[in-house]
Amino acid sequence: MSGLRFVNEKAVGTSVLPDEARPLLDGEARFLNDIAFPGMYHVAFLRSQHAHALLRGVDTSRAKAHPGVIKVLTGRDLHGKVEPFRSMPNRFSGGQSVQDWLAVEKVRFVGEAICAVVAEDRATAEDAIELIEVDYEPLTPVTNPRDGEKDDAPRIHDTCVNNYLIKREYERGDVDAAFASAHLTVRRGFRIGRKQALCLEGRGCVAAFRRDGFELSMWMSHQLPYVVRHYLARHLGMAENQVRVVAPQTGGGFGQKASIYPEEFVCAWLARLLRRPVKWVEDRLENMVASTHAREQDIELELAVDAQGHILALRSNIWVDVGAYSTYLWSAGMEPLQTGGLMPGPYKVPALRYLTRGVATNKTPVGPYRAVGRPSASASLELLLDETAHRLGIDPVEIRRRNLIDQDEMPYRNANNLVHDNVGYVPCLQMALSKAGYDQLRAAQGQAPAGKLRGIGVACFAELTGLGTSTPVGPGTLLQPGRDAVTLRLETTGTLTIAAALPSQGQRIATAMRQVAADELGISMDDISCLTNDTGMAPYGFGTFASRTAVFGSGAVIQAAAEMRRRILALAAFLLDEPVENLTISSSVVHTLDRGKTLSLRDMAEHSFFSAKDIPQDLNQGFEVTSFYDPKHGSFAAGAHVVVVDVDPDTGAVEIVRYVAAEDVGRLINPAVVEGQIIGGIAQGVGEALLEELVYDEQGQPRTVTLADYLVPSALEVPNIELHHANTPSGALGGFKGCGEGSIIGALGGIACAVADALRQRGGDIHDFPASPERVLRGLGVALDDAG
Amino acid sequence: MAREQSITLTVNGREYTRTVTVRTSLADFLRDHLHLTGTHTGCEHGVCGACTVSLNGRSARSCLTLAVQADGGDVVTIEGLRDDEGEWSPVQKAFFENFAVQCGFCTPGFLITAIELLRGNPDPSEEEIREYLSGNICRCSGYQAIIKAVQAAAAAARGQE
Repeated sequence: MSGLRFVNEKAVGTSVLPDEARPLLDGEARFLNDIAFPGMYHVAFLRSQHAHALLRGVDTSRAKAHPGVIKVLTGRDLHGKVEPFRSMPNRFSGGQSVQDWLAVEKVRFVGEAICAVVAEDRATAEDAIELIEVDYEPLTPVTNPRDGEKDDAPRIHDTCVNNYLIKREYERGDVDAAFASAHLTVRRGFRIGRKQALCLEGRGCVAAFRRDGFELSMWMSHQLPYVVRHYLARHLGMAENQVRVVAPQTGGGFGQKASIYPEEFVCAWLARLLRRPVKWVEDRLENMVASTHAREQDIELELAVDAQGHILALRSNIWVDVGAYSTYLWSAGMEPLQTGGLMPGPYKVPALRYLTRGVATNKTPVGPYRAVGRPSASASLELLLDETAHRLGIDPVEIRRRNLIDQDEMPYRNANNLVHDNVGYVPCLQMALSKAGYDQLRAAQGQAPAGKLRGIGVACFAELTGLGTSTPVGPGTLLQPGRDAVTLRLETTGTLTIAAALPSQGQRIATAMRQVAADELGISMDDISCLTNDTGMAPYGFGTFASRTAVFGSGAVIQAAAEMRRRILALAAFLLDEPVENLTISSSVVHTLDRGKTLSLRDMAEHSFFSAKDIPQDLNQGFEVTSFYDPKHGSFAAGAHVVVVDVDPDTGAVEIVRYVAAEDVGRLINPAVVEGQIIGGIAQGVGEALLEELVYDEQGQPRTVTLADYLVPSALEVPNIELHHANTPSGALGGFKGCGEGSIIGALGGIACAVADALRQRGGDIHDFPASPERVLRGLGVALDDAG
Repeated sequence: MAREQSITLTVNGREYTRTVTVRTSLADFLRDHLHLTGTHTGCEHGVCGACTVSLNGRSARSCLTLAVQADGGDVVTIEGLRDDEGEWSPVQKAFFENFAVQCGFCTPGFLITAIELLRGNPDPSEEEIREYLSGNICRCSGYQAIIKAVQAAAAAARGQE
């Protein structure tokens, strides 16, 4: 039974309780590590201890002799037998990287896999790892992009001159003329540390192989089962229809489980070689070095404004430390291109120039993580707007009001060539300000608790969600994953099954699609189930990422439901001997509008399948409909966050004392689920702004490989979030927008601006984030012992 | 080979005797030997709290507890939270009704910890709830729905639903 939190005639717009959560509350959900097969072997990986080194030799003899060890695999064993990961080419300068599944000649980051050990149990595999001896010849590492791009820097890949994996210069509008004629130009630096998605469940897989017919089955903690299938087939030299990929219950994704990594591919290869199921489950220490990192940006940006604070031009210079390899599938362009290209956000920027680089370093590769590139793009500009407003003597809100794209200016094409429409930037700002009582907050700013500096931050953001085929996943990238499908099947018992390759990592995709289908078809939600995770059952689709899934899943359901409804009513019209126009469906029953005649879907479906002799064939085409949905363009979501912080100038501690968010995420499907997505994103933004940073030393050694070192917010650091909606329906089917990522953008900007605002009262400022106590104290001019 | 030892313990009301290697963690014992896979390991170094179980009436990190340390003990895991009639505990029910579960990987630890909190403090303030749950990491929810759920469970248990 599905409970309803609110009584509503329509399922869409109602906080329907998610049946998907029930197994999770009983401990009965099956995550990857809960899957086991008889005779299953376990895999562990030996990982590089050096950031940059030649592999002189790998001695596996002791490991091979260890009792319980089945196989030890080195990079040389695989060399020439499988296709390594060659990064996607891009339209801009910068070389491609080639990543062996297991390192052959050289290691390029601490944590890179060198050997795989297969054993009868995991502990034995891990014991055997310790017995492998590697002869490294250390090379000088590159540990930051500004050094890495120098002509005399060590080269990480022979193919990458100046270690550029990507470099793009973009200009639109006359930027130089705007700067030459500006009333005021303001320049700022902004740096953001390296992050980790930190899914509570790490990566992992179970691979099983048999000869002939659906040869390879992969259970994998992943967001994109069909994409994985495509690449597994390609790299293992298999037919794609011989591969099945299932994403079981997944303990968080956030983009980290959207890339292609070597370990799972090694496991697939081992399953084929050994003809036994093999399992690998990443432990947390591995996850911290072997699953993609994010961010690590160094930005210089400059704004030209007129006397009223209207933006005339924006230019930026961006260095992204993208790590050792161009992340497979997405490429190293993810962060650099999105940060440069999407920096204007919701503001009118008539002229734009950016020079952005992804520089290879000897660190873990950078891949997608919630809101790729945009938190730093947004926060750097928000901080610059605050400084500009300060120099002009106007309120920070006023400069935003003067530059936001207003409703009557839409559709509006910005200098980054994106068109803004069906989105409410100004309504979000107004809502956030009025709910927060902004004027009173400013008036009372001097009344902070004794000894504290109070800061107020206001951040506005835009997030392009649900990208269709005409919009690449990032500016200038070649990947355009703009379509997805669902199959609707009316079972012979009259229940409806929705199948799609849109796995959930907690977003309640199945519940959302069931809600949409219930409304479109008049079928009770209790009669609808949803499969979202299995290429063996679902139509082709890209999967869950980029705030797209609810848009695509719902749009495809709407399209498929129209055809399904047509087929149901056509058959019912024949069976009831009524004109189609006189029929409708509600509560899983077809009935005449006057309810004089009824036919349950169960009776109709059973009849149509088991005793169809009397039914004309053209009315009985089968109740299974697949529809692909492509919204063509993306839908802009938006938000405005107002954040109040108290900074302790003695300790540098930052406390968030008030958090108000107003968001435009289009028409809501399940409000409580949406709130969970937005508040969860803000919580990750609290970590991004104040706590989380992966630190490397100058030798490229990671210093933050446990959760005691890499600090994610607990219930004590995340404030109560006051969330309000200022929704404008999108132009996509159903009026839906994505809501999974946007709020982390506003959180970084809002918190960063609030901290800077607090420091400004003592003449201080802050450019480096997260705003750790040390950085806050430095921002106040406190001299700290650099050795400590 | 690693040294082995026989242990006897009660898990969710049922007594088990098993032989384990002494280095086996309680989490691995529950998952691999008893097939109680509802207990999750998120960090295996005692920080994230996903593996929290009740051991002799107190919450314990099953990743840092050796199975042999639980010899003779009484363990409750997420699989043991339904009552004798098969109904959810007030905390499970409240987590469901307040959308306090997203990916659900951390949920077992939160349930065990929240139940322990309410047993000792039937009417906790929001501050007390945040403090008590601060040893459990949730990466999805931002904690707000979890805190609401604990408040709702407390109210339900006090008969104020």
